[in-house]
Amino acid sequence: MSHRSVAIVVTSGKGGVGKSTTVASVGLGLAQLGHKVCLVDTDIGLRKLDLMLGLENRIVYDLVDVIEGVCKLRQSLVRHKEYPELALLPAAQTRYKEEVNPTQVKHVVDELREEFDFILIDSPAGIEGGFRNAIAAADRAILVVNPEIPSVRDSDRVIGLLESAGLTQIDLVVNRIQPGMVRDGDMLSVERVQNHLAINLLGIVPEDRRIIRSSNTGEPVILDNKSLAGKAFSNIARRLVGENVPFMELEETTLIHKIKRLFHIA
Amino acid sequence: MLTFLGMFGKDKEKPTAMKADDRLALVLSYQRSDIDERKLKEFRGRLIQLCDDFGYDVVGQIQVIPHSRERTTIINASIPVRLKDQMKEQF
Repeated sequence: MSHRSVAIVVTSGKGGVGKSTTVASVGLGLAQLGHKVCLVDTDIGLRKLDLMLGLENRIVYDLVDVIEGVCKLRQSLVRHKEYPELALLPAAQTRYKEEVNPTQVKHVVDELREEFDFILIDSPAGIEGGFRNAIAAADRAILVVNPEIPSVRDSDRVIGLLESAGLTQIDLVVNRIQPGMVRDGDMLSVERVQNHLAINLLGIVPEDRRIIRSSNTGEPVILDNKSLAGKAFSNIARRLVGENVPFMELEETTLIHKIKRLFHIA
Repeated sequence: MLTFLGMFGKDKEKPTAMKADDRLALVLSYQRSDIDERKLKEFRGRLIQLCDDFGYDVVGQIQVIPHSRERTTIINASIPVRLKDQMKEQF
């Protein structure tokens, strides 16, 4: 292989934890750092990445078209307008996951390695065929987890499946953390989640209302410089390229909060 | 009417653990070791047999509690026993 690239599957087991949000923002973050990045949506039948990136109106061909030989791989790639180093290989919206197999997806990803530094594969929720398609070509994995028991239990199961498939480099992103709830004992802390799953911590992303707005406007939250979550995703991208970035301090430090703590009511 | 009133007196099912962290540890150890209630019941039965083979009588409830630590499951068994001879002396 002439080009040195890395394929990373972003997975979780449980749905709705923020996989596609993570892929869109971290992918854009890597492109901002000057790397060539391709985002592959393997959620056939339920694609989302196009919406997250605001590229939904520019899709002509998709992953299934490439696999079936309807088009060439480069014809299916949709380039980001502002960051042309970032490309999206969209999933088909009107087909089924069972119509492709892991070998076919691996073949496509191997072809992408010729051009791109990073290939981020957005896995569908669950552990069935779609998940197996997504992990087939990956060199390493990012596990997105919410600090709640159902999400952690599913992730633990996914770790076992990834390891069985020979994927041993698995990094953890704890998403939607609410420091106030952790402090009150109503939410699992990042440390406890990491301790239970026993994998390397790559990022901590706070709960942020701006994420909902960003997915509705098609502008990944990393482009919102007022967003703490955006900053957290930017840090994840920098860690992926080997930078030593400290984890953000998420503890609330407003004046009211300080006064409450002074009187032991917070 | 009695049924209606009975609703308030119903005992709530006890949670498996009081703290989220303890509950997660329990849930993960069950999943990682593929443990279920049927398996635990059988396990307790074998422990009674094992104690009997070694000359002990089980004199109370056996508790088998799996714990999870660093992706390894530790099965803790609490077995209240007395030596069979001591039991005979008491009678």
